[in-house]
Amino acid sequence: MKRPPIPANPRGAAEPASVLPDFQWLTGVVEFCRFASDNGLGSGLKAVIDSVRAVGIVDHGRLDAFRYALRANLCTSKREWDLFDQLFDTFWYGGRMDRPKRPIASSGDSKLEARNSQRIQLMLGHPASRESEARRKTIGGASAIDRLTKVDFSEVPQDDLAELEHLSERLLRRISFRLSRRQKLSHLRGRIDLRRTIRAGVMHGGEFLDLRYKNRISQAARLVILLDVSDSMNPYSLFLFRFAYALGKHFDRVSCFVFSTRLVNVSKTLKARDLASALRALSGITTFWSGGTKIGSSLQEFNRRFGRQMRSTNTCVLILSDGWDTGEPDALVAELKALKQRSKKLIWLNPLLGLDQYEPVTRGMRAALPYIDLFAPAHNLQSLLELERDL
Amino acid sequence: MTIASETRPSFAAEAQPEEFAEIDEFIDGFGRFGYVADRALATAIYLLVRLPKPLLIEGHAGVGKTEVAKVLASFLGTELIRLQCYEGLDANSALYEWNYQKQLLAIKVREKSDEPVEELERHIFGNDFLLTRPLLRSILYESSSPVLLIDEIDRADEAFEAFLLEILSEFQVTIPELGTIRAKRIPYVILTSNSTRELSDALKRRCLYHWIEYPTLEKEIQIVRVRLPGFDHELGSRAVRFVQLMRGMNLSKPPGIAETLDVSQALVLLKKNQFDPGTAEQILGCILKSADDLAKIRREGVENLLSRITP
Repeated sequence: MKRPPIPANPRGAAEPASVLPDFQWLTGVVEFCRFASDNGLGSGLKAVIDSVRAVGIVDHGRLDAFRYALRANLCTSKREWDLFDQLFDTFWYGGRMDRPKRPIASSGDSKLEARNSQRIQLMLGHPASRESEARRKTIGGASAIDRLTKVDFSEVPQDDLAELEHLSERLLRRISFRLSRRQKLSHLRGRIDLRRTIRAGVMHGGEFLDLRYKNRISQAARLVILLDVSDSMNPYSLFLFRFAYALGKHFDRVSCFVFSTRLVNVSKTLKARDLASALRALSGITTFWSGGTKIGSSLQEFNRRFGRQMRSTNTCVLILSDGWDTGEPDALVAELKALKQRSKKLIWLNPLLGLDQYEPVTRGMRAALPYIDLFAPAHNLQSLLELERDL
Repeated sequence: MTIASETRPSFAAEAQPEEFAEIDEFIDGFGRFGYVADRALATAIYLLVRLPKPLLIEGHAGVGKTEVAKVLASFLGTELIRLQCYEGLDANSALYEWNYQKQLLAIKVREKSDEPVEELERHIFGNDFLLTRPLLRSILYESSSPVLLIDEIDRADEAFEAFLLEILSEFQVTIPELGTIRAKRIPYVILTSNSTRELSDALKRRCLYHWIEYPTLEKEIQIVRVRLPGFDHELGSRAVRFVQLMRGMNLSKPPGIAETLDVSQALVLLKKNQFDPGTAEQILGCILKSADDLAKIRREGVENLLSRITP
């Protein structure tokens, strides 16, 4: 097949040529689709073909019709919708595209970056050396498993990390298995299924000898996890994310958000095939592994953006945070109240609760207590496993 | 595929009007039915009709997503078939169901006859006993393509989304007892979503996409004028400004265009000709739908807010 000559510079011109011969027009659209696809908008041959067809149908003599036709075809979300105009102008008018900054290296603060990368290393399971080994509690007389389920996450010795990880995976998987089985056993017989009963009755000449039953579709509880990843949670957030991943694996509907001073939806990472890729995906998304905690404003952001889809009949909210808040307690209380109204159960897991001498005395934490249905520790595997009862 | 004529793809601003009469027709037509559509939306709808390809419309609550489908049906002079999605919606209630009571009666009536079982089966699984639900109804349509509105798809489960995907790509349904039914007229499909949940990529890829933003001041005033032709212009634009001010106040349920129209309607019904603090206080319930929002606005003070919109 003879290819049409490619126009000299389809995108370089400051103003698109006023009249393009057919093939140039076609090439332009195809090239634009490729350009858009490179920038994450509408990939695949089908998108290209549909775009060409769409542009062919509208009166592309006019720039706006041309633009709208392509936009309707190539976008699939508000985010892409907002990006499209920039891409379009860049391509057809040769403007300069601000490349999205690399997510991890976005901060100019080198100390912060060092901390970030350290954090990500940790998340990927290569922990930096710790000094906490010296503080390690000695739990004598018990088997390794027993010891490991009880050791505080912040004090896991380097050597035991791999083993603990293995153990946690096994135990957490057991949780999700039990949880899913429990749901199935709870409705043995539902309503009579007329459709199938009649179908079966025909075989007996219209006598309904065997009744068929319809099980109610189990209303899968929705679980929302809000994980604090601020500095003070440093020793714990790694394990707590694993916990979140384990829950996400077997619950149908789990949303997970991480927050410190702002909130990021990381639900997609829970869908990753294995833990390692989930952690890798997470390190790609989050850019603020440090800094202070603004629980109040993070919850506000959650309520505003995602609260409306929650229904109080089946949503369980799990907050994983130590309650150290640099924001105003009043703001935290107002948001917790709103959150409580939208959820069936509000659980707050606080790793610090595992310490003997800990009392929830921080202003925020104390103000929050009245709105929490369950306030429990989350400092070791044992405490996470005990949660099974309450989920 | 015919793509373009000789002189087409020019980007010149001053193109000949007759060339895009068709998209303009949609804008005008929608206007006649009381819907102010901008060129971007009209283009998307035009493509939906011409390609044809389903159109996914997203936007905040109350910006007129559902209205697009209603107006399109009126404009095309065809029927609107609506499928309201909700959590737990399954294929049966969306596609078809057998009329069990009628089937049971039929079986009882024929009990005494010597009819063979096969005959009975054929009888009670016939068209007379079939209850069509929106999706099947849209496929059975023969005279012209109906508009199929799948409203709030984000409320349905992911399983239903997958099922829908199959219908939307094939436009055919297999009923075991009756066989395969293929659509004679491909329906025009509009899906709406409040984007409370991310839809699957597969579904999105099959659709055109349009995002409806809150309207600008001018556009919203125009909408009020189109919907309530006799309404005092000055009063109307005050009401619009008032609603828009609240929309920008970070409320838990920001008012949409529906609320603006409610307010305007209320002003007409209450025979108000002034938008003073007393009036504003009276119609606050048309705009704010939660106690927290109401308290927030009261704290700000209605009078104070009104002074901000005074030109």
